[in-house]
Amino acid sequence: MPHLKKSQRNYALFLSCGLLLLVACGKKEASDTSPQKDARDEAKSYYSVNSEFFHFRTPADIPTDLNWENGQHLPEFASPDAVKGGTLNSWIQDFPRTLRTVGPDSNGSFRRWILDNNTMSYASRHPNVTDLTKNGFEYYPGLAEEWALDRANKTVYVRLNPAARWSDGEPITTEDVLFNFFFHRSSYIKAPWYNNFYSTKFSGISRFDDHTFALHFPELRPDIYALALGGSPTPAHAYTELGDDFVDRYQWRFLPTTGPYIVRDSDIDKGRSISLTRNKDWWAQDNKLWRHRYNPDRIRLVVIRDVAKAFEAFRKGDLDYFSLGLAEYWYDKLPDDAPEVAQGYIHKLKFYNDVPRPTYGLWMNQSRPLIENHDIRVGLQHALNWDLVIRKFSRSDWTRMQTSADGYGEFTHPTLRSRTFSIDKALASFAKAGFRERGPDSILVNDQGDRLSVQITTGYAHFKDMLTILQEEAVKAGIDLRLEVLDGTTAWKKVQEKKHDIAFVAFGVGPEMFPRYWETYHSANAYDLAFLEDGSINPNRKVQTQSNNLQIIANAELDKMITAYDKSDNLEEMKQLAYSMEELLREDASFAPGFNIPFMRTGIWRWLGIPTSGNVKISTSFTEYGLYWIDDTAKTETEKARKSGKTFEPAITVFDQYKLE
Amino acid sequence: MTLNPLTVRKLKRFRSIKRGYYSFVLLMLLIAVSLLGEMFVNNRPLIVSYEGRWHFPTYGANLPGKTFDLDYTYETDYRELRDKFQTEDRGNWMIMPLVPFNPNENSSYEGVFKPAPPSWMGGPEKHWLGTDTTGRDIFARLFYGFRIAIFFSLVFMALTYLIGITVGSLMGYYGGIFDLIAQRLIEVWSNIPFLYVVIILFSVIPSTFSLPARIGMLLVVMVLFSWTSMTYYMRTATYREKARDYTAAAVVLGAGPIRIIFNHILPNTISTIVTFMPFTVIAAISAITALDFLGFGLPPPTPSMGELLKQGTQTLTTAPWIVSSAFAALVLILLLVTFIGEAVREAFDPKKFTTYK
Repeated sequence: MPHLKKSQRNYALFLSCGLLLLVACGKKEASDTSPQKDARDEAKSYYSVNSEFFHFRTPADIPTDLNWENGQHLPEFASPDAVKGGTLNSWIQDFPRTLRTVGPDSNGSFRRWILDNNTMSYASRHPNVTDLTKNGFEYYPGLAEEWALDRANKTVYVRLNPAARWSDGEPITTEDVLFNFFFHRSSYIKAPWYNNFYSTKFSGISRFDDHTFALHFPELRPDIYALALGGSPTPAHAYTELGDDFVDRYQWRFLPTTGPYIVRDSDIDKGRSISLTRNKDWWAQDNKLWRHRYNPDRIRLVVIRDVAKAFEAFRKGDLDYFSLGLAEYWYDKLPDDAPEVAQGYIHKLKFYNDVPRPTYGLWMNQSRPLIENHDIRVGLQHALNWDLVIRKFSRSDWTRMQTSADGYGEFTHPTLRSRTFSIDKALASFAKAGFRERGPDSILVNDQGDRLSVQITTGYAHFKDMLTILQEEAVKAGIDLRLEVLDGTTAWKKVQEKKHDIAFVAFGVGPEMFPRYWETYHSANAYDLAFLEDGSINPNRKVQTQSNNLQIIANAELDKMITAYDKSDNLEEMKQLAYSMEELLREDASFAPGFNIPFMRTGIWRWLGIPTSGNVKISTSFTEYGLYWIDDTAKTETEKARKSGKTFEPAITVFDQYKLE
Repeated sequence: MTLNPLTVRKLKRFRSIKRGYYSFVLLMLLIAVSLLGEMFVNNRPLIVSYEGRWHFPTYGANLPGKTFDLDYTYETDYRELRDKFQTEDRGNWMIMPLVPFNPNENSSYEGVFKPAPPSWMGGPEKHWLGTDTTGRDIFARLFYGFRIAIFFSLVFMALTYLIGITVGSLMGYYGGIFDLIAQRLIEVWSNIPFLYVVIILFSVIPSTFSLPARIGMLLVVMVLFSWTSMTYYMRTATYREKARDYTAAAVVLGAGPIRIIFNHILPNTISTIVTFMPFTVIAAISAITALDFLGFGLPPPTPSMGELLKQGTQTLTTAPWIVSSAFAALVLILLLVTFIGEAVREAFDPKKFTTYK
């Protein structure tokens, strides 16, 4: 058979390529034995060279009139019923490409297990008490024992807890805090984002003694604590070999952490699974607001490449929990009358959280033909039947997004509403733009014979069906939406090149105090030079690529407001500016707000314990705050019951205490 | 046109192989029906009689709702209109096709877009095979998916054979250095992994191209990487035929190489080629289905069996009718073509009809 021969040849070719790669790798590693200098010495000389940033002072220099805070008055949110022990079984879709938390490939979905949800920062935002105070959000202590804000000097003083230890037992001192700056500003780590962040967001750091330091800022924003207290140190004693080969050298090293879980070398089974082990000597495990959290002794993450397969593993009991976010899973694949649910083995949880919402909507590129016309944009907004999507695709679970910054509490515009589906309004608006007659396929055409046809680009294959609903409905309003479903990376690349007509994407947002506008709406991110010095539009301006202004909005008035907003240290003023900006953006009509997903849905086996409140207000994933625990007796009991056929009370729980009306 | 008596005997022999012959008839019938598909599977009626006027909406431009005095200007929703006719009872009527659904229209089931079971399993009316994950009729999608796949593969076959036969014959006829170089080039070319090329290409093609243009590009790419295997057979066959006396006679008579290859040699080598044809069709259908399954095939929302199969694997437990319908349809088509292929191979077997005893 000729086919066989061909494939055999291909195989041989692949094999030899593979061997070549292996040889190449081997060589590289072999040459990596040059003696290393100690990076701590390099850091010291770096501090003296950059003495305008790194200040060494004495405890006598700490102002005496500071108002120290320690967050001890805040209520605990973990359940006192929690018990330590057991193994949590979960899954990851891809094996992590590195155990580093900075540098190339480190920003994968695994990172949250070892960094985002595992690192203890100086202090953390309280996840339930979310009201604004004069210093912003409420923080509870982590590595820091207490902290103070010096408004006049735009400085935050922090005193580390003397008991704080790295997971290897070494004490955490200000040396690690200083080293954190040296590390993240160094070119070794190949992380330009961090280089820039640690160089521009801070104007300096002062060390007073082993446990006291102060961070200086170029401007005092209302959320200054997020920057100052949300950081955490870098273990200087673990990075002694830091150098040009950092990326390779530290690729598979798990370094001492401030958090409760560590990764042991023996638990890394490349390509198959990786396990986290609870540090039983974690210094903070009995501290207020940290106790009763991070309970399982082990967290085992198995690689399962196919979501459908992972779901089957969950139903079998091999995985302890599974996200049931999609309606298909919640209603069809694991309905309330599924045997495991009806017999009470699997509990279903629906938890309404209250966080800034990812911006699922259509981002229209105003630099493109047709879309540059305001009437067409308004018409298009009226041609989008989001209500039908919400009703028939999400089964009325989602809510309509109203502004580009929903979920920011007081910062979200209270009365602004997005445009609703209306064929008449859409047709009237398209008519203003010259599209009056319908062609043979019901799509509007103008006098020149151009069809009213634009393209929607997306990288979200799982929303393809939803977009076809919008597409079919839009035809009724006479506009043809061509769908382009690309793979995630390609779509994002296209959007970053600003080659899209309309992009369906969402920016993920952290639980921040107020929305950001500069990144997405400032003209500096739309054009290289949007306006000339006299304020007129630059006729030769070029679209700015690689920025998040996906609508190519360049509006001098908006720019002014953004600048004022970004400089402001007054919450009330910022709020008013945010409202004005949202009103202007609605008028501009180039962002079509889509939908919000106001909850998390999870299926858990009954041996997984959770607090009676379900979770905390600003959580975005089941495991984020480490509030669950494994009840081993319940596990044995359940396993026996499954064999004997004994059943339990089914539990389908809705936690709607944080639901917004 | 008079056929070579040998060919006539081969065709008779093919007819006598019942399984292959009936498969052939059935497949031709299916193709013929699919050509007129809009008359059988469509959400537009065949005839509408409204206020004494007859409309034939099947082909041609959309009829806006205004045509039937409805209060909208987009395309008429005929199922709604039919209900209206029935309640009004003013002598207006329409004839809907057998399967009154369009392959791209979503219809909701129990108020949401989700798979509906086939009508004989208690699902909504007229969805003979149920609906897929967004509520599109599976029969309609399979039907139009078949039409696209079969014509895609027929054109694919024609193009690969055209190129493969031409290049192969030239190699065999000229031989020598030309043959040597062409063969090396073909070897290099055929080692380029086809799947990767398709994936790379489709991730960069802008979708501003219309649907037919994108399907055309996929076809071209597939042809570009598939014609090579045919050259081997044609090359050897031509080498053999070239040494025969009739070729020498043609050369002596002054015929040019093109005339000799296509008028003299090709008819004598074609029988080997014919036996490959059905299997090429099978390969093309499988390839296009596999590509669709992986998401690199026909652009959405083109109906396709591969796309349905993919949906089916993700909804094995909740909507088993998706995967079973798609699988059964694919097996049926491939089986039909395979039966034809076997019969053709047997009928054209040179051992039975060789002129050399």
